[in-house]
Amino acid sequence: MKGGTSFSDRRQAYLMVAPPVVVLLGVAAYPILAAVWLSLHRMILVFHEQRFVGADNYAFLLRDARFWTALGNTAYFALVAVSLELALGLGFALLLSAAVPGRGLLRASILVPWAIPTVVSAKLWAWLFNPDYGAITRLLPLSDTNILGTPGYAMHAAILVDVWKTTPFVALLLLAGLQTIPEDLYKAAEIDGASRLRAFRSITLPMLRQAILVTVVFRTLDAFRVFDAVYVLTGGGPANTTETLSIYAYKTLMRSGDFGYGSTLSVATFFCVMAISVAYLRLLGPREAGA
Amino acid sequence: MALAPLAACSGGAGSADVRPPGPIRLVFKHQPLWGDPAPFRALLAAFERETGDVEVVTEPLPNASDVVHQFFLTALEGGARDFDVLIADTVWVAELARAGWIADLSGAFPPDALRRDFLEGAAEAAIFDGRTWAIPWYVDVGVLYRRTDLAPEAPATYEDLARSALASKQSGTVQHGYVWQGRQYEGLVCNVLEAIWGFGGQTMSGDRVTLDTPEAREALEMLRGLLVRGVSPPSVTSQAEEESRRVFQEGRSAFMRNWPYAYLEAQREGSPVRGRVAISPLPTVSGAPGNGTLGGYLLALNARSPAYKREVALRFVAHLTSAEANVTLALAYGRNPPRRASYEDPRVTAGAPLIASLRPMVEGARPRPVTPYYPMISDVLQAELSAAITGIRTPAAALQRAQALVDHITGAGS
Repeated sequence: MKGGTSFSDRRQAYLMVAPPVVVLLGVAAYPILAAVWLSLHRMILVFHEQRFVGADNYAFLLRDARFWTALGNTAYFALVAVSLELALGLGFALLLSAAVPGRGLLRASILVPWAIPTVVSAKLWAWLFNPDYGAITRLLPLSDTNILGTPGYAMHAAILVDVWKTTPFVALLLLAGLQTIPEDLYKAAEIDGASRLRAFRSITLPMLRQAILVTVVFRTLDAFRVFDAVYVLTGGGPANTTETLSIYAYKTLMRSGDFGYGSTLSVATFFCVMAISVAYLRLLGPREAGA
Repeated sequence: MALAPLAACSGGAGSADVRPPGPIRLVFKHQPLWGDPAPFRALLAAFERETGDVEVVTEPLPNASDVVHQFFLTALEGGARDFDVLIADTVWVAELARAGWIADLSGAFPPDALRRDFLEGAAEAAIFDGRTWAIPWYVDVGVLYRRTDLAPEAPATYEDLARSALASKQSGTVQHGYVWQGRQYEGLVCNVLEAIWGFGGQTMSGDRVTLDTPEAREALEMLRGLLVRGVSPPSVTSQAEEESRRVFQEGRSAFMRNWPYAYLEAQREGSPVRGRVAISPLPTVSGAPGNGTLGGYLLALNARSPAYKREVALRFVAHLTSAEANVTLALAYGRNPPRRASYEDPRVTAGAPLIASLRPMVEGARPRPVTPYYPMISDVLQAELSAAITGIRTPAAALQRAQALVDHITGAGS
C-alpha cells in the first residue's frame, strides 16, 4: 500500500504471520469444522455407523424437547448469574478501589473463591446444601427442603455457586477499569458541586463502559457453556431441570457415544454463543465508538 | 475362525502381531480392589508362576464407573492395543460386544457351561446373542438394610416396610424411615427396576425394552408414595449410595436400600449402628423375596490385542475367575463370588459369613436390560424416572415419554 513496501518485504511479512495463522487454523478452525461435519452424520460409535444424513440431526434438534429445556436452563442460568455477578462485582470493585488501610490484603482475600478449582468448590457447596448435614439447610428455615433434589431450587443453588465463585473475577476486571479513570475528573466534579451519586452516574459508569462490556461478554460466554459446577452439584437433575447445553452435549457424546447428534448439540451451543457475542458487539459497540 | 476379523483389521499394524523377544507382556486394565493389595498380587504371581514366560502388568482405572466407560469407549474406538484384558461393568458387555471391541470367548467358555457354573444373573449379563463375551469376576446386588433394634423382623411387603418405617420414625429414635437412591443417575435406574420386578413386571419382552407397563406405573407410584407419605425423606431425590449410607450409618434412618459394601462400613468399629444392622432381600408387593439389581464386573478380552497373546489372555481370565480366585476375592476384598459352588466353600462360609448369607440375594439378582443400547436408554430413563419421583410428571406420563424416547433410540439404530 505504501510506496516503499517492496514485494520481498511483503512476502517476508506473510511468512512471519504464517505460523500463528496455521496454529490458529489447527486449534480453532479445524475442530469447529470437524464438529460441523460430524453433525451432518449419523454416527454412533458402538454401531460403527457413520452415514451422511444432511440436516436430519438439525431437524431432530428443532423437535427435541430436551434440547429446548436445556437451552432455556442455560439462558436462565447465564442471565441471572451474570446480572448478579455484575451488580455484586461492581460493588466490590468500588469498595476495593477506595483507599482504605489493608487494601492489598482485602484484594487478595476476595480472590480466594476464584482460586479454588470449580469442581472442588462445587463439591464443597454440595455438602453445604446436603439436607441432613448441610450448614445452609441448618441456618435457613428450610430444614425439610432438599435443595439440590427439588426442581426450581436446584437451579438457583447452581447459580449461587457460580456467583460465589465468579464475582471476584468480575470485581477484579472492573477494578482494573476503575483504576484507569483519572482522579482529576472526580475532583473537577466535586468542585462543580456534583453529588457522589451524580459523579458515579456521569463519570464512573460511562468511563467504565468498556470494562463492563468486556466483563459481560467474557462472563456470558463462560456462563453459557457452564458444565463443571452444575455437573458436580446435580448431574443435570432432578428430571433434567438443571441440564445445560454443555451437559446434554457431554452426555450424548461421551456417555451414549452418539457423536453425530452430540456434535449437533455442540454446534448449536457454538452458534448460540456466537449470536450472543455479535449481539453484544452490535448493541454496545457503536455507542462506544460515538462516546 | 475367530482370528479372521482380527487379522483383517490389523493389516496396517502387522508389526504389533509379531511376538517380541522375552516373556509375553499381558496388560490388565482394572479398577483397584480396595484393601491390602498383597492377596491380589499373590493371585497374579501364581498365574505367572504356573504359566511361565509371561509378565502381567496391571493398570488401574479411576474408581468411577462412568469415567471408566468413557475411557473404554474412546480407547477401543480408537483401536487401542495397549491393553489385553479389561474389566466390564455388567451393563457394558452387550454394548462392547456389539461394537466388536471385545473378543468372543464362546470357544473357551461355552454359554452352557457359564449358565451351569455361574449364578443365573451373572451368566445372563455375560451372554449376548447366544455367545459368551465376558466372564463374571465378582457380583453385587441391591439389598435391604434394617436396624434390628427397630425392626427385628425383615419386612416382606412394601406395606410392611412403610408401616415399620413410619412407626420407627414416630418413636423418635430415627428421623427418617427408609432411604434409597433417588438422584438422577444410574443408581436410580437400579432402584426403580427393583420396584418394577417387585410388582411382577418385566423390562424386556423379546428384544424390545418395555417400560410403559402397568407394573412399572404401580412401581413408580409406590416409590413416589414413599416420599408423599413421609416414609422416605425428600433428601432421597438427591441421594446416591454414599449419601444414603451416611444417613443410615449415623443412625438417622430405620431402613436403607444399598449394595452389600455398606454392611462392612456400618459394622466397623466406631459406627453408631454397629451390631444393630441386618440385611435381607428387598420387599415386594406380594411378600415373596424381591430381586435386587445385579452389579459387579466381568473380565473381557480386547479384540485388537495381538493374536499371539490370545491363549495366554484366555488362561489369565480363567485364572482370575476360577473357584480359587473367587475365594480369594471374597475373603480378602469382600467381593461376592459369581460361581455357585464358591458359596459352599467352607473357607467362605467360615471366613466371610456375610457373603455366605447373601447367597439367596445374589441368586435372585437380575441384570439390567442386556442390550447394546443400554447406556443411551439409561440416560433418558434417569431423567424421566427422576421426573416421576420428584412429582414433576405423573408416573404414567413419565413412562410414556420414556417409552417413546427408548423406541426412538432402539428403532432408529437397528
